Amino acid sequence: MASGARPDQIRLQALRDVAARLRLHSVRATCAAGSGHPTSCCSAAEIVAVLFFQAMRYRADQPAYPSNDRFILSKGHAAPLLYAAWAEAGFLKEPELLNLRKIDCDLEGHPTPRLPFVDVATGSLGQGLGAACGMAYAAKYFDKAGYRVFCLLGDGEASEGSVWEALAFGSYYQLDNLVAIVDVNRLGQSEAAPLRHDTDVYRRRCEAFGWNTYVVDGHAVNELEEALWQATQVKEKPTAIVAKTYKGRGIPGVEDTDNWHGKPMPKDKLESIIGAIQSQIQTKEVLVPQLPIEDVAQISVADIHMPSLPEYAIGEKVATRKAYGMALAKLGTANERVVALDGDTKNSTFAELFRQAHPERYIECYIAEQNMVSVALGCAARDRAVVFASTFAAFLTRAFDHIRMGAISRTNLNLCGSHCGVSIGEDGPSQMALEDIAMFRAVPGCTIFYPSDAVSTEHAVCLAANTKGICFIRTSRPETPVIYSSEKFEIGQAKVVRKSGADRVTVIGAGVTLHEALAAADELAKQGIPIRVIDPFTIKPLDAATIISSARATGGRIITVEDHYREGGIGEAVAAAVSEEPGIVVQSLAVSGVPRSGKPAELLDLFGISAKSIIAAVKSTFAN
Amino acid sequence: MEAYHKPDQQALQALKDAANRLRIGSIRATTAAGSGHPTSCCSAAEIMSVLFFHTMRYKAKDPRNPSNDRFVLSKGHSAPILYAAWAEAGFLQEAELLNLRKVDSILEGHPVPKQPFTDVATGSLGQGLGAACGMAYTGKYFDKASYRVYCLLGDGELSEGSVWEAMAFAGFYKLDNLVAILDINRLGQSDPTPLQHHVEIYQKRCEAFGWHAVIVDGHSVEELCKAFGQTKNQPTAIIARTLKGKGISGVEDKENWHGKPLPKNMAEEIIQEIGDKIQSKKKLSPTLPEEDAPVVNIRNIKMPSPPNYKLGEKMATRKAYGLALAKLGHANDRVIALDGDTKNSTFSDLFRKEHPSRFIECYIAEQNMVSIAVGCATRDRTVAFASTFATFFTRAFDQIRMAAISESNINLCGSHCGVSIGEDGPSQMGLEDLCMFRAVPNSTVFYPSDAVSAEKAVEIAANTKGICFIRTSRPENEVIYSSDEEFHIGQAKVVVKNKDDQVTVIGAGVTLHEALAAAEELKKEKIYVRVIDPFTIKPLDKATILEHARATKGRIITVEDHYPEGGIGEAVSAALVGEPGITVTRLAVSHVPRSGKPAELLKMFGIDKDAIVQAVKGAVSKSRNAE
Ligand SMILES: Cc1ncc(C[n+]2csc(CCOP(=O)(O)OP(=O)(O)O)c2C)c(N)n1
Ligand SMILES: Cc1ncc(C[n+]2csc(CCOP(=O)(O)OP(=O)(O)O)c2C)c(N)n1
Repeated sequence: MASGARPDQIRLQALRDVAARLRLHSVRATCAAGSGHPTSCCSAAEIVAVLFFQAMRYRADQPAYPSNDRFILSKGHAAPLLYAAWAEAGFLKEPELLNLRKIDCDLEGHPTPRLPFVDVATGSLGQGLGAACGMAYAAKYFDKAGYRVFCLLGDGEASEGSVWEALAFGSYYQLDNLVAIVDVNRLGQSEAAPLRHDTDVYRRRCEAFGWNTYVVDGHAVNELEEALWQATQVKEKPTAIVAKTYKGRGIPGVEDTDNWHGKPMPKDKLESIIGAIQSQIQTKEVLVPQLPIEDVAQISVADIHMPSLPEYAIGEKVATRKAYGMALAKLGTANERVVALDGDTKNSTFAELFRQAHPERYIECYIAEQNMVSVALGCAARDRAVVFASTFAAFLTRAFDHIRMGAISRTNLNLCGSHCGVSIGEDGPSQMALEDIAMFRAVPGCTIFYPSDAVSTEHAVCLAANTKGICFIRTSRPETPVIYSSEKFEIGQAKVVRKSGADRVTVIGAGVTLHEALAAADELAKQGIPIRVIDPFTIKPLDAATIISSARATGGRIITVEDHYREGGIGEAVAAAVSEEPGIVVQSLAVSGVPRSGKPAELLDLFGISAKSIIAAVKSTFAN
Repeated sequence: MEAYHKPDQQALQALKDAANRLRIGSIRATTAAGSGHPTSCCSAAEIMSVLFFHTMRYKAKDPRNPSNDRFVLSKGHSAPILYAAWAEAGFLQEAELLNLRKVDSILEGHPVPKQPFTDVATGSLGQGLGAACGMAYTGKYFDKASYRVYCLLGDGELSEGSVWEAMAFAGFYKLDNLVAILDINRLGQSDPTPLQHHVEIYQKRCEAFGWHAVIVDGHSVEELCKAFGQTKNQPTAIIARTLKGKGISGVEDKENWHGKPLPKNMAEEIIQEIGDKIQSKKKLSPTLPEEDAPVVNIRNIKMPSPPNYKLGEKMATRKAYGLALAKLGHANDRVIALDGDTKNSTFSDLFRKEHPSRFIECYIAEQNMVSIAVGCATRDRTVAFASTFATFFTRAFDQIRMAAISESNINLCGSHCGVSIGEDGPSQMGLEDLCMFRAVPNSTVFYPSDAVSAEKAVEIAANTKGICFIRTSRPENEVIYSSDEEFHIGQAKVVVKNKDDQVTVIGAGVTLHEALAAAEELKKEKIYVRVIDPFTIKPLDKATILEHARATKGRIITVEDHYPEGGIGEAVSAALVGEPGITVTRLAVSHVPRSGKPAELLKMFGIDKDAIVQAVKGAVSKSRNAE
C-alpha cells in the first residue's frame, strides 16, 4: 500500500515542531480554562503530530467526510491536544482554543460530537478502542474501503477490561486497518499505573491478544513514523504501538513527576513554560495532511420500510424475542446497511434468524457485552450502518457505562434485550432483567419499546431503525398470543386493548403482564367488573395523554403491573406522568426483592404480578 | 507449602469414579428439571472431583467455615455439578439434587447464597474471578491465613474484559493463594469460542498477565492432581483442555447442546454407560483445613468521636466522606477501602494515609473493584467501602446487580454527581446513579447534604446490610447540621419550616442548598416554603414528606442534580401517587449537559435557586387560579 512519501530530515523536524506547538496550545488552553489535563496532552504530542500530519489521510476542512481516516482519542481527558491538532490542521481557529471548557464554546472538557471531528464521545476511559474496532470492521467488511482507524489510549486506561475485549475482537476479525497507540507515560491519576514503564509487559500482552506490536520511544517522531508506516504493510493483524513517553513532557519541573494529573499550569509559571517549549521550535513550516483515497460508496440509512406487513394470525402464539429475530431478518432485506450483533446468545435472542438470512452482516461479538455496544457504536458512526445489538436484557447492565456514553455520543443505536423478568423461570435471578427499564429510561433521548405481541414487535423493530438516539426493545421469553392485526404503531402512542363505557379501573401492563391483565379482565368481566386495559407500547416516551384520559374515565384509578423491579419501571413512569394530576391514584404491582428459580407461572404468582394479583388489586381498589 | 505427592492408583481411580458420579448427578438433575446445562458440567467433572476430593481443604459439614478453602464457580450455569459435589461430600442429600430449579428448593438454576456453600452468586459470566481475587487478597493480606481460593471459569467466559481486570489484579498483588481453572471445552453457547482449543494462546495471555500457567488434559485426574500440587509466588492458572459433554456419547464435543438437558430415555442409557465405568462406590472425604483464620467482629461499629464541624463551615461532602472513613477505620480494623485510581478526587486517599495496609488500589477497573469488594466482604471478613466517580459505577452495574443477588454487604461511594462538577463535562457527571442504585434490591441510597450527615451516612452504612450507596458532591457547601444531630435511614430532616408554608421543596446535596437560598429569597416576598432533606433516597421517608405536603396544600417541588428518570422526583411521585390531592412538580436535568461553570450549569438546567423560586411561584399562582 502506498501511504505517501517517507519523511526526510526536514519533515521530521517539522513534525517535532508541530508537536511543540500542540504542547503550547494545550498548556495555554488549560491554563486559560483554569482546569484540564495539560500533562496528559504533553506525553502524546509527538504521537498526535505524527498521526495528524504524517500517517492519517483526511480532508482537514471536512472532518466527518466518510473517506477520511478515523481518529479516536480514547483518553478523552487529553481533549485539548485533539483540539490543538485540529487547529494546527486549520479546521479550528487558534484563538478559539482559549475558550476551552466555557459554557458557550463547543470545546468541552472531554470530546463530544458537538464537534464535527468527534465521532464518539470519550472521557469514560477504556471505551474508545471498542468503537474504533466497530469503525474498522465497517471499513473492512461493509464499506470495503481504504480508510484506516487510529486510536490513542492511556496506560492507566489499559487496566479497563473493555480494552482487552476490544483487543481480542480486533485480532479475531483481523482488522489490519486498525492501529492502537498506547501512551505509556507511567502515571495515572492518583499514582503510577500498575505496569509503570514496563513496555515489555505491554508488548507481551498485546501480542498474546494477537496484535502486531511495536515498542517505540513515543517522543521520537522518526520511530513513531516508522512504526505507523510498518503497520500499513501488515496484513490480517491489527497493530499496537506501545509508546514509552513521559507525562508532562517538555514542561520543566513537571515532566514525569507525581501529583500533576488534571492540573493546569500555574498562571505565574506559564510564560517560562511557554518559553521553554518555544525554544525547541526550529521551523515555521505548516504541514498539510494527506488527502484520503476516495473509495467509500454513497449509502442511505434513512427511511427504511419493511418489505411487507406483519404476517401473524390473531391468537397465534409467538414469543416476542422470536418475533424480534424474524422482524430483523426481514428488515435486513429492506436495506443492506442493516447489521446485527450479538454476544453468543443469538440462539436465545433469535438474532440467529438475521444471521441465517444475512450472514455477511452479522457480527458475533462473543461474551463481551461492553465491547459489543462499543462496536455497535463504531459501526453506526457517520451513518455507515443501522445497527441492532442483542443479548439478555440483564446483561446489557454490563454495558451501562457504554450506553450512557452512547447517548453523549448522540449515537443511533438499537439494542434488544431478551429474557426480561421473572417470566423466564428456572434459570433464576442472575438471568432475569428486572432493572433494564430503569436503566434505559435514565438514558437521555432513549426510546423504550416494550412490545406485547409479535405484530407490535415487528413494528418496534422498523420504528427503531428509523429513530434517532438509542432505542431499546425489551423482549420476552414466553410465547404469548398475537393480539394485533393490521394496526399502526407510533412511538408514544399507547393502545387501549380493552374498553367499555363502564370500566372501573385502568390497568396498564406490557409484555407478559399485559396478557395477565387481559386474563384478569376476562375473569373480572364475568364477575361484572369491567376494566380498561392499556398497552403503552413505548415506556419512554410514555403516552401520558391516553393514560390520563383513561384514568379519568375510570374514576381516577390506575393499576400498573410489570415484570420489573418497582424502581424506575412502568409504575414509576406512570406515577411521574400523572403526578401533577391531583385526582389520580396509581397502584403499582411489581417484583420486589430478589426473585428465584421456579416455573414462570409460579413466579408470576409468587411475585404478585399474575392475573390473580391483578384481580385482587382491582377488587381492593373498591374495598377502600 | 508441602511438596507434591503423587496419589496412588487406587486414589486416582477413586477420583475418576467421583468424577463420573458428578456427571451422573448433573445429568439426572437437569433431566428431572427439564432444563439446565449438563454438557457444561461434564467438561468439568474431573476438575471438580480433584478439587473437592483431593486438593481443597474444607469442612464438608460446615461450608462457610472461615478457614475453609474457597471455591467460586464463575461459570455459574454449571451449578448442577457444584450441587453434585456437595452431595458427594455429604453436605446435600443425593435425592435433593432432583429438585433442581424447583420453586421450593434452594438448588436454583445458578448458584445463590441461600446455599451455605455459595459465597457469591454467579450466572452473569466473568464475575467470579474478581470476587475470588477479593477473597484471596483478604486471605493473604488481612486474615494472613492459609486458606486458598479456587475459581472455575469457562472458555467462552474469558471473552469478558472483567476476567482480564481480575487477572491483572491478581498478578499485580501476587496472589499466590489463588488458582483459576479454565475449562477449555472449545464451545460456547451459540458457537465455538473464538480461540477454540488453542490452549497455548490462553497460556500466553495468562503469563503476560503475571500468572503461572500450566496446560493439562482436563480429563486426566492425574495431571490435574499434579498441576494443583505446584505452588509458585504468583497466582496459578490451570488451562484444562476438555470436551464439552465429555462422557455423553454422541453429544461430546458437539455443537447445539449448550443448555439442553438430555431427553429421559437418552439420559437413562448414558447414566448406565457412565455408571459402568465406576469401579468403586467408596466415597472420598476432603482434607480438613488448618484452622488459622482469625475470629473477627464487624458488628456495631461506632465512630470514635462525634462529627467535628462548625455550622456554616464550607466542606464538600466528598471530602467529608474521606475524613469520615479514615475515622471509621480507627473504630474497627476490618474496615477497608478500595478505589479505582480516583482516590485524590473521592478523598478515599485520606483513609489510605491513615490505614495504608487496609487500602486496596484497584486501578482503572471499576467492574473488578466492585467484585473485589464483594469478595473481601464474604463470610463477614471485612467492611468494604469502594469509591469512584458516581457515574463510573455504571461500568459495574452488572456486578452491583449480582452483588445484590449475592446478598453482599458492600458500601459504594460515588463522588462527582451531577452537573455541579462543572467544566469536565457530561462524561464525568453522575446523572443516572440514583436511578441505578434505587433499582438494586434491598439497597440503601444515602445522599448527604453536608459534612455532618455525610459522616453519619458512612457510619450507618458500615452497619447496614445489603448494598449501600453514598452519593457525594464536588462543590463545597455549608455545614447545616450540628454535631449532635441524629440521623437514621429513612428519616428525612425538615430544614426550613414556617407557619404559613405554601409549598414543600425537596432537595439534596447541592440542590438542598439551592432550595435554602430560594427559601430565603422567597421570604422577602412573603412566600414561605418548607424545605426537606430526605437524607436517604431509598428508603424514602414517605410519612414525613406526606405530612408536610399536606401542611403545604398538597404541593411538592422536587429539585435534583440528576436526570428526571428514577431519581428523587420519581421516588417522591411514586411514594405519594396513592394519596389524593398531592401534586409533585419535578425539577431535574432534562438532557445531556455540557461543560461550563457549576453555577452556570445549575442555571442552564433549571435546578438552581432561581428555577426553584420560579417553580414555587408557579405552583402558588397555579392553584390560586384554580381556586
Ligand atoms: C472509566 C473511568 N474511570 C476513571 C476515570 C477518572 N480518570 C480520568 S483520567 C484518569 C487517569 C488516566 O491515566 P492514563 O490512562 O494513564 O492517562 P494519562 O493521563 O496518564 O495519559 C482517571 C483515573 C475516568 N475518566 N474514566
Ligand atoms: C454476562 C453473560 N453473558 C451471556 C451469558 C449467557 N450464557 C450463558 S452460558 C454461555 C456460554 C458459556 O460458554 P463457556 O464459558 O465456554 O462455558 P461452557 O458452558 O462451555 O463451559 C452464555 C453466552 C451469561 N450467562 N452471562
